[in-house]
Amino acid sequence: MFRNMLKRSWLSIKRKLGRTIILTLIFFMMANLVLAAFIIKSAVSAQMDYAKSTLGGTVSIQADMDAIRENQKTEMEQGGDPSEMFKSMSRPSVKVETANQIVTTYTDYIKDYSYEISVSANSYNLETVETKGFGDKGSRMGGMPGMQSMFGGMGTTDDSSDSSLDSDITIYGVNAYAYIDGVDDETVTIKDGTYFDEDSTGSVMISYEFSELNSLKVGDIFKIKNIYTEKSVSLTVIGIYDTSSERANANTMYMNTETAAKFFDTDEYNDGNYSVGDVKFYMINSDNAEEFVEKVNAEFTELAEDNLKFAVDTSEYDSLSSSIESVGGFADTILIIVIIAAIIIITLIVTINVKDRRYEIGVLMSLGASKKNVISQIATELLVIGTFGFALASVTGTVFASSLGNSILESQVTSSNQQSERNFGRPGAMMGGMPGGFSGGSSRGSKSSDIPDMPDGDTLNMKDIIGGGRNGQKIELDINAEPIDYLLLFVTGYLVIVFALILPSISIMRYQPKEILSGKE
Amino acid sequence: MADSKNTLTIENLSYSYQNGERTQKILDNVNAKFEAGKIYAIVGESGSGKTTFLSLISALDKLQEGDVKFNTKSLRKITGQEYRLKYVNIVFQSYNLIKYMTAAENVEVASDFDGRKADPNKYLEKVGITAEEGKRLIGKLSGGQQQRVAIARALASNSPIIMADEPTGNLDEDTEEKIIEIFRDLAHKDKKIVIIVTHSRRVANKADKVLTLRRGKLS
Repeated sequence: MFRNMLKRSWLSIKRKLGRTIILTLIFFMMANLVLAAFIIKSAVSAQMDYAKSTLGGTVSIQADMDAIRENQKTEMEQGGDPSEMFKSMSRPSVKVETANQIVTTYTDYIKDYSYEISVSANSYNLETVETKGFGDKGSRMGGMPGMQSMFGGMGTTDDSSDSSLDSDITIYGVNAYAYIDGVDDETVTIKDGTYFDEDSTGSVMISYEFSELNSLKVGDIFKIKNIYTEKSVSLTVIGIYDTSSERANANTMYMNTETAAKFFDTDEYNDGNYSVGDVKFYMINSDNAEEFVEKVNAEFTELAEDNLKFAVDTSEYDSLSSSIESVGGFADTILIIVIIAAIIIITLIVTINVKDRRYEIGVLMSLGASKKNVISQIATELLVIGTFGFALASVTGTVFASSLGNSILESQVTSSNQQSERNFGRPGAMMGGMPGGFSGGSSRGSKSSDIPDMPDGDTLNMKDIIGGGRNGQKIELDINAEPIDYLLLFVTGYLVIVFALILPSISIMRYQPKEILSGKE
Repeated sequence: MADSKNTLTIENLSYSYQNGERTQKILDNVNAKFEAGKIYAIVGESGSGKTTFLSLISALDKLQEGDVKFNTKSLRKITGQEYRLKYVNIVFQSYNLIKYMTAAENVEVASDFDGRKADPNKYLEKVGITAEEGKRLIGKLSGGQQQRVAIARALASNSPIIMADEPTGNLDEDTEEKIIEIFRDLAHKDKKIVIIVTHSRRVANKADKVLTLRRGKLS
C-alpha cells in the first residue's frame, strides 16, 4: 500500500508538471525567505557573541573630579589659599602595582588591559622635526591622539608646573604597539622593522621623518633624557612607523611601558611602583562590567581614598548591539510573515488541487484506498516538491540572505550616521569620544603580549557602521549558512506543509466515494 | 481469493431517500444470493434503484437496513474501505480511470493496493490491450479500450466479486460483445462473482441469471 502510494505520488508529480512547477516555485521563494531569515538570525547571533567578546566594554580608572572639588571646597572653607591650591593641583594617579594586582585577581572578567606612560624628553644630539599647528615642536603632549592632556595626565611623572622647560620629544609608553591609537584604523603603520611588545624593553619605534632627519635605521642606538629628571636612557630602534594623521607629531617615540618607566628617576623606577596613566581594563563580557567595578571597589578601597573612580564604557557594544538586534528583529518579522503567507498560499493551492482531484480521489477510494492513504499521497507529493524547492533555495538562499541582511544593515547604518551627525559631526563621539573610534577588530581580543592582529576589513564594528566602513570598504554582515540553518529551513518547510494540509485533509475526510463518482456520472 | 464456494448474500436490504418532507423508498427488503462462477445481470427501469443497489452491495454507500455478507463476513462488521479493498472491484460506465496514468499504471495501481506486485500487461493482454497500448496515457485510448483497461484493473485487484455498472453503455455492439465475453470468462473461468447492472438486453441475455429490480423489490 505504501509503495503504491509513493508510486501514485511520483506519477502525479511527474505528469502534472504545471502544478509541480508552480508549487516548486512557491516553495523555492518561501524557502529563500525562510533560509535568509534563519541565516540572518544566525549571523546576528554570531555577531552579537562576537561583539560581546570583542566589544566587551572597557572599565577605566579616572580621577574623581567631584571628590577632588569637594576636597578643594573643604580646604577653602578651612582657609586654604585658592591660587596656591589650583597651582599645585595634580590629578591622582594609579600605581602600576595596584593595576597589575587588579589584572591578576580578576582574570575571569578582564581579557586585556592597557596602561600608558608619557614622558617629555630631549635629545642630546638629534634633530627634531619641525611641525606646524597642533603638534608644534615643543608642544608638551605633542598632540598625539590618546595622550594625556591638560594636567599632564595620570601616571606621568612630568612636573608640568615647570613651564620653563621645553621638550623636543614625546615618549609614549604603552603595553604593545597594537594599543597605539591609529594602529587599528591604519593611520599609523610600520614602514620598516617590526612592532614592540611587553618583552621589547629598551626598544623604540620612531617616526619615518625623525629617522630620515637623523639618518637612523632599525638597529641603531641613541640616547635621550627626561627633561625634568635628567634621567637618560639608551634606546634601540626596533621599528619605524609612518602616520597619515594630521594631528601626528613626528617627534613622538613609542615604546613599551617598562622602557618608558626608565625615564623616571632611578629610585622611583627601582621601586617598581611608579604611576601609570589611562588605565583601561577590557572586559570579557560587557554584561559583567558593573559587577567587576563593584568587586574591585570593595577590594581596592585605596583607589576611592585617592580620589579615583571607575568609569564603565559599554556604549560601543550597546550601540552596535542595538543596530544588529534591529536586523535580527527584522529577520524575525520576515520569518513570521513568510511562514504565515506560505501556510495560507499552500493551503489554498492544495485545497483547490484536492477539489480538482476529487474524481481521482473517489476512484482511489472505490479501489480500496483509505482516506488516510489519499491524504498521505497528497502529503508525499508536497513533501517531494517541497524538498526540491528547499534544496534549490539552499543554493541561492545564502546569496539572497547576504543581500537582504546587508541591505537591512545599510538602512541601520544610514540611521546611525544621521545619529552621529547630531553628535557635532564627530562619529567617535558615539564611542565615548575616542578619536578615531574603537574598532571591534581583533587587536583588542589578544592579550597584550600576543602578536597584535591587524584589523581585517570583513569584521563588522561600530566604526564601520557609523563611519561607513573602514578605508571605504563595504559594510557586510558575515553571512554564512551553517548546517543548523539548513536543518531549520527543512524543519520549518515541512511544518508549513503539515499546517497547509490541515484544511484539505478535513475536506478529504468528508468525501464519500459514491457522491464523488455519482457526481461525475 | 476466488473460490467456487464464495457467496455474496443480501439480507433484508432496504434503502430510502429523503426527498423534501417525503421519504422515498428505493429498496424494500431485498434478499438475494450471488454465487461464484456465475454472471448476474440486474435490470430494471431508470430510477428503479439499480445503481443504489450496486452502491450498497459494493460498500460505496452506507447500509441503512439489512446486511450484506461475503460468505460469513458481514459488511456491518468491517469498514467499507476494507470491504472494497479485499472483496469487490467495480467497473463503471464512465471507466473511472486515473487520467495522468497510462493504462498499465492504472492496472498496476489497483494490483498494488493489496501489496501484490502484479504484471499489468498480463491483465491488459487478457482484455485485448497490447503492451504498446498499455504504455499510452488513458486519454489516448478509445472508449472501448478504456473500458477494457477498467476491467483489467478489476482483474488485477484479485477481488472475488466484480461489479459493473452499465459497463457497455458507451460502447458499440462489437466492443460490447467482447466486453461481455470478458465478464463471462471472469465468472466461468476465474470463478468470480460477476454482477452487472445493465439496460442492455444483449448483456442480460448473456448472463447466467437475470434479476429485475422493480418498485424496490428484486425478483
